[in-house]
Amino acid sequence: MSDLPEPDLSPPEEPAKPTETVEVAPEDAPAIEVTNLWRTFNGLRAVQGISFTVDRGHVIGFVGANGAGKTTTMRILATLDYPTSGNARICGHDVVDFPAEVRRRIGWMPDHYGTYNNMTVLEYLDFFARALGYRGSERVERITEVMEFTDLVSLSDRLIDKLSKGMGQRLCLGRALLHDPDVLILDEPAAGLDPKARVELKHLIRILAEEGKTVFISSHILSELGEMCDSLLFINHGQIIHHGTADSLRRGSNESTIVSIRVVSDSEAFREWCDLSPNVTYLDATKKGARIEIDSIDEEVIASVLRRMVMDEHEVVEFHLEERKLEDAFIEILGEIEASGGVTVN
Amino acid sequence: MSESVPTEPQTLEQRLTDFSTRLSPMLVKELRQGLRTNLFVIAFILLQTFMMLCLFAGLADPSSNGATGFFWFFITTTLLIIQPVRGFSALSSEYQLNTMDLIQLTRLDAWRITLGKWTALNAQGLLFVIGVLPYLVLRYFLGNVDIGNDFIALGGLTIGSGLATAITIGCSAFRNVIVRVIISVGLGFLVFALYQALRLLPMMGRSSSYEWELLLLLVVCAIYGIFFFLSFGASRISPLSDNLATRKRLIAIGAALVCQGFYLLGLDLEVMVATSFILGLAIIDALTEPLPIYSRVLKPFARSRFFRLTAIFLAPGWISGLGFSVLATAITIASTLVCESVAGQVIISEGGPFVTFLSSYNISLFPLVIIHIFFARHSSYNFTFGIYLFIQAALFFLTLMVSALASAMERWAELVYLLVPIPSVIAVAANDSEIEVPILLLVAVATTIVCIGFPLIRHHRRVREFIREWKPIR
Repeated sequence: MSDLPEPDLSPPEEPAKPTETVEVAPEDAPAIEVTNLWRTFNGLRAVQGISFTVDRGHVIGFVGANGAGKTTTMRILATLDYPTSGNARICGHDVVDFPAEVRRRIGWMPDHYGTYNNMTVLEYLDFFARALGYRGSERVERITEVMEFTDLVSLSDRLIDKLSKGMGQRLCLGRALLHDPDVLILDEPAAGLDPKARVELKHLIRILAEEGKTVFISSHILSELGEMCDSLLFINHGQIIHHGTADSLRRGSNESTIVSIRVVSDSEAFREWCDLSPNVTYLDATKKGARIEIDSIDEEVIASVLRRMVMDEHEVVEFHLEERKLEDAFIEILGEIEASGGVTVN
Repeated sequence: MSESVPTEPQTLEQRLTDFSTRLSPMLVKELRQGLRTNLFVIAFILLQTFMMLCLFAGLADPSSNGATGFFWFFITTTLLIIQPVRGFSALSSEYQLNTMDLIQLTRLDAWRITLGKWTALNAQGLLFVIGVLPYLVLRYFLGNVDIGNDFIALGGLTIGSGLATAITIGCSAFRNVIVRVIISVGLGFLVFALYQALRLLPMMGRSSSYEWELLLLLVVCAIYGIFFFLSFGASRISPLSDNLATRKRLIAIGAALVCQGFYLLGLDLEVMVATSFILGLAIIDALTEPLPIYSRVLKPFARSRFFRLTAIFLAPGWISGLGFSVLATAITIASTLVCESVAGQVIISEGGPFVTFLSSYNISLFPLVIIHIFFARHSSYNFTFGIYLFIQAALFFLTLMVSALASAMERWAELVYLLVPIPSVIAVAANDSEIEVPILLLVAVATTIVCIGFPLIRHHRRVREFIREWKPIR
């Protein structure tokens, strides 16, 4: 598409025109493929030329502040909105050209899930199962499977408006799973949940990931995403600013390791040892010990420092590698972006 | 004392088969919810109570008409007020509950969603009617009751109720409650005006029609009205990549042609009124449609040369809406001329009536020009439609004022020359013998060209996009 705008230019006013269309998508097509996607609302650029690919069976965290463009991107992927320009494909099917194909392959869970008054859990799932085209015994089987998976069997006769937020989210997840989609798009599923419900939801998502489903999940709770996701996608002001694993994000651009240490021996002597040791820098004293920096991320180097420490008769009772919090990493990336005025995609 | 037999709890399968899988999912959902609401239960019990009271009143004093009046009052209120009012929030509630997106991701399209809601409300209305039928039959045994007429009236009320419910459901796609009510009332008034016009025309001695023919014409209009207003709502909730326009426009043309057939049954002006109503609604809708994603909606038209040609009139969006308006007008002229020759009457083939006809067409186009001058950047379906209706209402009142002024001044010609761009003024002036018909015809034709040409030139980029996508796919 030769007339597509550069990232720093205004997008064209005309709606997206897909460059090519495929009737049958290849089996090995990525689960999600976004290419130079733009979305503007009356001149406001919600999404500015983002591109990324998610392989099948991966769990991807989509992170960004409110208004960063997360929900807009997810709605486009779910065929609920249209790109101003650029392409988005689910399992090889263009979201604009083949919305029905895409809908068959996605399960969508919005941030504010919808419920009905005067309707039970069973009736709610039955309505969506019917609407998805399930008939007869197949419909009953699908509903039963989903209710068992989301642990809703005991709540089947409960009116939906009487459910707690956590139960409601499980119901919403069940609805999204009714047609056994390949790709799950979950917009802030853990928002407003209590810790127990959060753990339950995380558990369900983990099972789904093990079953080979691709899960595209947005959340503000980065630590949880870090545990669940194969990689994280950071979006800010409609632009992707980072795409990488949680580990790479925790490491950041640093080539050193911070270690928290507790020693029984004299702390002054330990400090002197640090000053004399190669690869080691004494950072600060803590309540029960000290923090040191080892100028490598190689585990063998880290192990050799610990070995030398013990051989030099420092009685080490705690040796703990500090990890950079994902929230800190996110803030740091934002700071770097603001300072450089550019975009970093790892 | 007999022991109570413990009942086995229903299995999941038993609980899920209370409604057949053949029924529309939306209908099942609405019935499950609707029959459980307090409003339905209370209204049903109240109606039964009042019917019994009416019956006892009739038994006590068979010569009194009071009971009959109450009887019809409660039925009319239930069918023409309570049931349609329930439709006011049919589609908007799905937005409020954040469920519209979820439904759209299923296999239910916008039309099935809207139709399901209408069917559910009417099924509940039908329950009321069936509940009333025994009292209708009992009244017959009390005497002084023409049960045939009662059944016809009840049938008419049921159709009227269906139409009124379709209007409120269609308008429920507007998010703003005030706009929703204003437009519903406006459209309801329009439908009522059509009904009155069709009823009163024979009384004016301008038709030699029989009543059953008129009733049949009314039924055709009502059925089309139900379809139109449900499609009106469906179009507003459907994704831009879906095409509801083609079916809407084809059915409008079909309904108009059916109406034209009534010329052959002896009706004349009634047919013109009914056809204008049907095509007028379809044209207004077509002209206010937002521009779709052409790359998607034009694909089915690429099958053959013939299908590509039909896209000019039947593809979604106001650009082809203009084409549709030309086609609909041409079909009306052609079929009317055919009917003229068959029935041996003069309907539009003379100068004055033809100018009136062409100006009526221009009236439908004129607001589009104003919209594309002043509101070109606002492309939302509901906004364009609302503004369109507002401009039409303003022009209507302007024309009334001009007519009144002209009558007072007795100087039509000057006023017409002054207000040449306004088609409604020309339409009124065409009935005035003071002005030369050829001049008016010239003005009307010029207005038509401007009304069609201006929006196309104003949005030439979108027209080019339409043409680019419209070209055959190699």
